Amino acid sequence: MAASSAKAASSSDNIPDYEYVDVNTKVFHIDSFRSEWLSRLKPEDFSHKQEDDDVFDARFAKEMGADAETMAKLKAICSLDSLCCHPEDQRSDAETVPPNSTLKTLIQRKKKQDLKRPQKVSKNRHDLYADELESLALSRKPNDAVDVVPEGEVILTINVYYPAVYDKFNHNRPHMTLLMLGSHNLTQLRDAICCVSDLQVCGEFSNTPDMAPDFISKDHFKSAFFFFEGVFYIDMRFPECQDISMTTIEWAKTHNFPTYSQAKMEDTRFVDLKVKVGFPYLYCHQGDCEHLVIITDVRLAHANDCLDKKLYPLLTHKHRVSTQKCAVCHVFIGRWLTTKDQFAPSDPCLFCNKCFQMLHYDTEGNKLGDFLAYPYVDPGAFN
Amino acid sequence: MSKLVRERRDSEPVRKALKSDFEMLLSRFKQTESVRFETFSNIWREMNFGHIFYGITVMHKKRKFSRLVLDMAYSFFLPPFSFHIRVGGLYLLYSLYRCQTALPIERIRLALKDWDDVKKFEKDAVNAKHLDVVYVFQKLMFLKAFHFTAMPIQLHFNRKRNVEKSLLCEEFIERPSRPQELINIELLEELSNIQEIYEKLKSSVPSLSGQMDSSVNLIHKDLVPKLRSTVVDFYKWQKMQDAEYRDEDEDEDEDSGEGTSSQQECSRRASIIASIKSRAYGQVAETSKARRHRQVELDLNTTAGPSIKTGYIRISKPSLKARTSQKILISGNTGKGTPTLINRLTSLDPTSDPEAKSKGLKEV
Ligand SMILES: [Zn+2]
Ligand SMILES: [Zn+2]
Repeated sequence: MAASSAKAASSSDNIPDYEYVDVNTKVFHIDSFRSEWLSRLKPEDFSHKQEDDDVFDARFAKEMGADAETMAKLKAICSLDSLCCHPEDQRSDAETVPPNSTLKTLIQRKKKQDLKRPQKVSKNRHDLYADELESLALSRKPNDAVDVVPEGEVILTINVYYPAVYDKFNHNRPHMTLLMLGSHNLTQLRDAICCVSDLQVCGEFSNTPDMAPDFISKDHFKSAFFFFEGVFYIDMRFPECQDISMTTIEWAKTHNFPTYSQAKMEDTRFVDLKVKVGFPYLYCHQGDCEHLVIITDVRLAHANDCLDKKLYPLLTHKHRVSTQKCAVCHVFIGRWLTTKDQFAPSDPCLFCNKCFQMLHYDTEGNKLGDFLAYPYVDPGAFN
Repeated sequence: MSKLVRERRDSEPVRKALKSDFEMLLSRFKQTESVRFETFSNIWREMNFGHIFYGITVMHKKRKFSRLVLDMAYSFFLPPFSFHIRVGGLYLLYSLYRCQTALPIERIRLALKDWDDVKKFEKDAVNAKHLDVVYVFQKLMFLKAFHFTAMPIQLHFNRKRNVEKSLLCEEFIERPSRPQELINIELLEELSNIQEIYEKLKSSVPSLSGQMDSSVNLIHKDLVPKLRSTVVDFYKWQKMQDAEYRDEDEDEDEDSGEGTSSQQECSRRASIIASIKSRAYGQVAETSKARRHRQVELDLNTTAGPSIKTGYIRISKPSLKARTSQKILISGNTGKGTPTLINRLTSLDPTSDPEAKSKGLKEV
């Protein structure tokens, strides 16, 4: 009795419920959540295969004891045709709001459209891009059967927010959205996060512009961690990785904070996590570049999802930042930032590679005049 | 202002309008007192409800609107709404899902915590032989219309700002009927039988003073009438609330004078009391909620077996009176050997064997 009630309590712990309504859930274990769903569903409910109409009808008739005549009636009554508003629904109408509708939604939509009719119905690039990304992968099936997302797998939707370093970012919360599988390791999320600070090059290269490395930051600082529910998940794949969470853990110990623990990022799968959906967690890399990470959704995989494992982590949204163009040609993206530059119209100033070279060096490549030059990585260059 | 907050603010008038359209559709559906899909689809067509998707030209807006529409309709499919409204909610989900213009189509998000409610609803519909309700639900499953999710919506840690708290339409909410269902005529009858036996038994216990020992007066003598009148009061109050709700609606268009309204009040009360008397609220064991719509079933179901007509089947077992007197007879016959069972009915001795006690209770 006591044992069974204890068991019931622990199983309901993994049925996600709100901690704060419409904001975030209580903590639950993702793999248990998955098992709870699978134990309730029939295999065909989450199968990637679509059953035949006839199979469905036959089973329904048998289960409900309905004869052929009843079934025929039922199918006719519940058909899509029974919902059509006109005998021959003109689909061409669908682009305009029907006049004289009594539906408040349509009255409101009409009013709104009349108000801002002169405005062009432009779709912003972000949304175009998001659609593009998603439809590319939609119901994609892999060539090789081993790459199929298994039935009953969980798919997580994860938002990774950019650090609020720029003023304009403070209110806009730009982020990227990734779909991950329950079987993914946290390191696979880490590798999918693209952040400009991973690409930032440090150093002044005005004397040796050809020596400026392309993008190297990731190679220099491999340490990184995620922080979920009191646990630091640390990337320990490379020998040069440092446990950068230790400082925090030690500090917490000496300041009477709740004790934190740590685990390896590469050994932790998403299904192993105990997390709150909707709750902001932390991703930290480059020592001090911090990103909020929110798991916005966890659900079972669906037949129409992208079923090719190799396409995951699947990027479904990416904030696009406008690129900074070269101050001279206004065509190419800035690659060099100069200061104390007598040739520059402003301080600091941005140049594309070509304009920078032509303006600051002679044909032999000798530096002309005084200036400092830093390689510049445009945040928008990776859109 | 954050993009998310702005989006939320912009969608607020849309939500309001949608909610009102849904409530209009469902309230018309409720008025028909029928749960047939045919009835629903008639209203849907009459209201040109499929047009709700018209006039959106950009695909990503179509998807956003589909998402919103399905999320909002989903709530009508769940408690605390009455069975009738939930059937309407299911039909609404089905119709919206199938008529949506978004590509790829949006799925209905079904949260794990709501699953048991949904299955219970399906079971009720199966038991009541509402073939169309079951068919529509299973068709949605077959069409893979659902995403089996953790929560009904995606969560972004957005605190709501200035978002009007949306109220549930009270008219749609299930009235609690458990008291009436539990305290029905049969139960009262059995209770009074037990009471009778109990009183007899007490008076048969020899007492020193020759008077009834007050320590055995554990239960009010008028327990049964009191219980009955309490439930009647509750039921009356509930009906009154319903009537008031209806009145409020009517008052909006007719500006009736005070005299007439109080007269109405009186006659309403009279009719309520009359209805309670005639029904003795016993039939208020209105059987299971799902069955209330039996009377309006169409010929669709006539082929579906006899259980529709017979309705609420009671498992008939001998009345408690019969069972108890049998027991008493037995214990009376064997006399000295086993008088324990009756003793346990009256004694509150805490030392008595709890297992036997629970057995005794089970007999009740
Ligand atoms: Zn970063
Ligand atoms: Zn240039």
